[in-house]
Amino acid sequence: MSSTRFPIPQGTLDMLILRVLSLDAAHGYAIAQRVQQISRETVRVNQGSLYPALHRLEQKRWLRSEWRQSETGREAKFYALTRAGHTQLAREKESWDRLTAAVRLIFGEGA
Amino acid sequence: MNKLLNLLRWRRDRLERDLDRELRYHVERRIEDLIRSGLSESEARREANLEFGGVPQVQEAVRDTWISRWLDTLMRDVRYAIRSLTKSWGFSLGAGAVLALAIGSSVAIFSVVSTVLLRPLPYPDAERIVSIETLFTNTGQSAEMVSGPDFLDWQIRSDVFARMAAFFGSDDWPAIVGGRAMFANVRYVSADFFAVFGQTAYAGRLLTAQDVPSVGANPTTVVVAYPWAVTHFGSAEAAIGKTLGREGRTAVIVGVAAPGFRYPGAAELWFPFNAQPPPHVSAAQLQANRANYIYQVVGKLKAGVPFPRAEAQMRSIGDNLAKEFAENRVKTVSLVPLQDRLTGSVRVTLWVLMSAVGVLWLIACANIANLLLARATGRTHEIALRAALGAGRGRVVRQLLTESCVLAGVAGLAGLLLASMLMQGIVALSPANLPRIGDVRMDTTVLLFALGLSLISTVLFGLVPALHTSRLNVSDALKRSGSKLTISGAATRLRSVLVVAEVGLSVILLVTAGLLVRSLFALQHVDLGFTKERVLVAYTEYGVEGDAEMRARIRFYAEVLDRLRAVPGVSAAAGVAYVGMGLEPRTPRDYSIEGRPQERAGERPQAEFHAVTEDYFKTMEIPLVAGRDFARTDTRDTPQVVIINEILARTAFPGESPIGRRLRTGTSLRASSMEIIGVVGDTRMQDPSRPPQQVIYAASNQGLGNSPSILARTSLDETSLATTLRMLLNDANPTVPVKFKTMEALFDDTLAYPRFRTQVIGLFAAVATVLAIVGIFSVLAYLVGQRTRELAIRRALGAKAANVIRLIVGQGLRLVAIGLVLGLAGALASARLISGLLYEISSWDVGTYLVTLAVLGSAALLAALVPAIRAATVAPVIVLQQE
Repeated sequence: MSSTRFPIPQGTLDMLILRVLSLDAAHGYAIAQRVQQISRETVRVNQGSLYPALHRLEQKRWLRSEWRQSETGREAKFYALTRAGHTQLAREKESWDRLTAAVRLIFGEGA
Repeated sequence: MNKLLNLLRWRRDRLERDLDRELRYHVERRIEDLIRSGLSESEARREANLEFGGVPQVQEAVRDTWISRWLDTLMRDVRYAIRSLTKSWGFSLGAGAVLALAIGSSVAIFSVVSTVLLRPLPYPDAERIVSIETLFTNTGQSAEMVSGPDFLDWQIRSDVFARMAAFFGSDDWPAIVGGRAMFANVRYVSADFFAVFGQTAYAGRLLTAQDVPSVGANPTTVVVAYPWAVTHFGSAEAAIGKTLGREGRTAVIVGVAAPGFRYPGAAELWFPFNAQPPPHVSAAQLQANRANYIYQVVGKLKAGVPFPRAEAQMRSIGDNLAKEFAENRVKTVSLVPLQDRLTGSVRVTLWVLMSAVGVLWLIACANIANLLLARATGRTHEIALRAALGAGRGRVVRQLLTESCVLAGVAGLAGLLLASMLMQGIVALSPANLPRIGDVRMDTTVLLFALGLSLISTVLFGLVPALHTSRLNVSDALKRSGSKLTISGAATRLRSVLVVAEVGLSVILLVTAGLLVRSLFALQHVDLGFTKERVLVAYTEYGVEGDAEMRARIRFYAEVLDRLRAVPGVSAAAGVAYVGMGLEPRTPRDYSIEGRPQERAGERPQAEFHAVTEDYFKTMEIPLVAGRDFARTDTRDTPQVVIINEILARTAFPGESPIGRRLRTGTSLRASSMEIIGVVGDTRMQDPSRPPQQVIYAASNQGLGNSPSILARTSLDETSLATTLRMLLNDANPTVPVKFKTMEALFDDTLAYPRFRTQVIGLFAAVATVLAIVGIFSVLAYLVGQRTRELAIRRALGAKAANVIRLIVGQGLRLVAIGLVLGLAGALASARLISGLLYEISSWDVGTYLVTLAVLGSAALLAALVPAIRAATVAPVIVLQQE
């Protein structure tokens, strides 16, 4: 099972989290689930690095958090994107696009 | 401090709890999902934990992000602060110097306060040592002096003390060491004296009960101070076994006290004495002794006895004695912690200095806040840009605070250096008898104080501009970014308030300094009632016992005085038992006029009592108003005579001549009555700062009073006369010790404390004024700089240079005027507080206030004129082209 899934490339976890949260606020477990769902189960989130990343992003004021009732009825910590977070997501998306375009060029896809 | 720590701890606990909850939620959700997909519960739990990779590890990783983030921001802020401070090094240097000056002087004064007032005395369980004193219920005054019978009763009737001891003596007691006569600082102490202070001997042993001589006998043992032993015998060990004193009256040195122990004051020799009255003393005499104050008493409370309980017990013992004995009618007992007793006299001086330095520090903070605010306003654009890029308000405030923190940190270090130099200066200036002044040094308390001061400074002068700037409207500031910004109304108001505060605080310091200077001047020129110049004072001591020795003493002084008067250049010479001048204050004696009804004890009139020889008034140039001076013909075998001063004559004999009337002194009716033969002018001999008191002069030639000091009025150099007199004395009797002073030097010593206060506060006031002037100047210069364009337009449109100058100067002086008025109100209030330190001058002294206003006002005018003239002389074309 795990052989069919990619670990997340270094440095892109932040961007994925921002992307997921740009749709809706979510708690950590849901974020991990959604990354897998959206990528059609090809990307596996290492749960050990998910939470440090969430706290780091919150300290950079790109995320804010609050305790809310989750879908199971229990209290969970929900993260949401701030305005600065939206700006950051746009910035990261742009640089990612430029990088992937460049990589594609190198592999001759665009030729 | 604890609250802050608790707050931090509480915050951390909450973070940890939240993290724990968050991670647990994740794992449990995963387990539920796995169970739903068909795993058993235990399998699901194992799988979930495996996937997660261990909760503690994740917790640790999250915690790392908390700390690294915090450190990262801090480092960045500090780096940024240093960069921006060095970029405008002129500002940083100025602000840093001002702050270092303020912190330095505060720390220097505080280290003196801390050592003298706050640090515990260097004795074991020092907080349990108290001074047991006589409280006079008619005047409410507590005095250290205690009568012999009272001490014995206190010892017997109290049970709150582990030890109690009495002592008496003098700083200048005659001692003979190796056949040489000298003065020594001597105390006679009762058996438990060293035990009260928890002392052990450095060499030999300390005094114990076995050393106490039998009643009426002379002591045969003595303990000496460490430095005294080293000076006279080379080492402490060498001193043991040596003898002091003259033939027939020797004492063996049995011990040397620990090096630091000199109590009281700078004691050198401690002899044991027996506090029990000699058996031949009558009950009546014993009772009369209750009004004879000769001892000082110290006690050490039993462990666990609270001070109030001991005080209550001693008070009730004192109240009972007041009922039992007529002599005790107007007195009871009071306890004073020894530390308070030792520092009581300097407490006021030190707290006044401490307040002055606090005001100085506030002025410095206002000054720096002003400078920082000016800078912050100049940086509006930069800060607006940071805010637009997503820096929150808190982030900007933190950045600015870090900057002032770095500034205060560096200034604090420089301040510490400055403080250690100032401390030496203060110690050098301070009166020689300031208790413990020699121990002043920087300790942990002082360093903590300096740290606290730097921190508070940071917040005081950093927060105001920081909050102010962070409130600014971003888009507004950015829109106007092209050219120099005009300053906002709020910033101007805040800076104006700071200038007003600086001026006001300076007024307070200047008025205080002014009053102290005037008071010192008044004291220096007070009418003493005698001429202090060109008088040599020779302290001598001729101990006597019995009538034969007394007669020998009288002969000795008569002979020395006659030979002294024959010395060319000596116009007059005399003897006086107590020179006065603030040294060895004497308690006044009761007196009663013969032929008048006796007042009750405690209600009788009182007068100072001095024994003098013939020619005393001539030597001191005190006018003889009526009657005659003492003469050689007044001897031990003729009726006793006295001379009174004018105040006593006026008080006791209004409208009649006192000459030929008789009076008695002391409490005992059996005291012989003495005839008044003369009236002399009033003097401030005892204490120049106090108005003249009633005085009775008796003839030392009639065997009254202690052995006299010799006074000589001379047209010669006082030091060369001292050499002559020393030879004269040595010829007449080599066992009489002598030491010399001049009357002028003695008078100067009485001004030591007022002078010390005045010098230090005067220095602070000068610095404060300079700071305030710099503050006014920098604000106006800045305002002018901001308004250059506007002023240029005005000029281009035809405004005259004079108009521009008036505009700017008017703006500055308005602030100064408000500051002056507020400062005056503050000064009036603070002058009331120091009225106790003012002599011969009221705290409402109009001259001082006017001079202060004139000085500050004209300095402020100058500070305002410079930028105003600059504004008026700039060519409008140039300014407008630059835009």
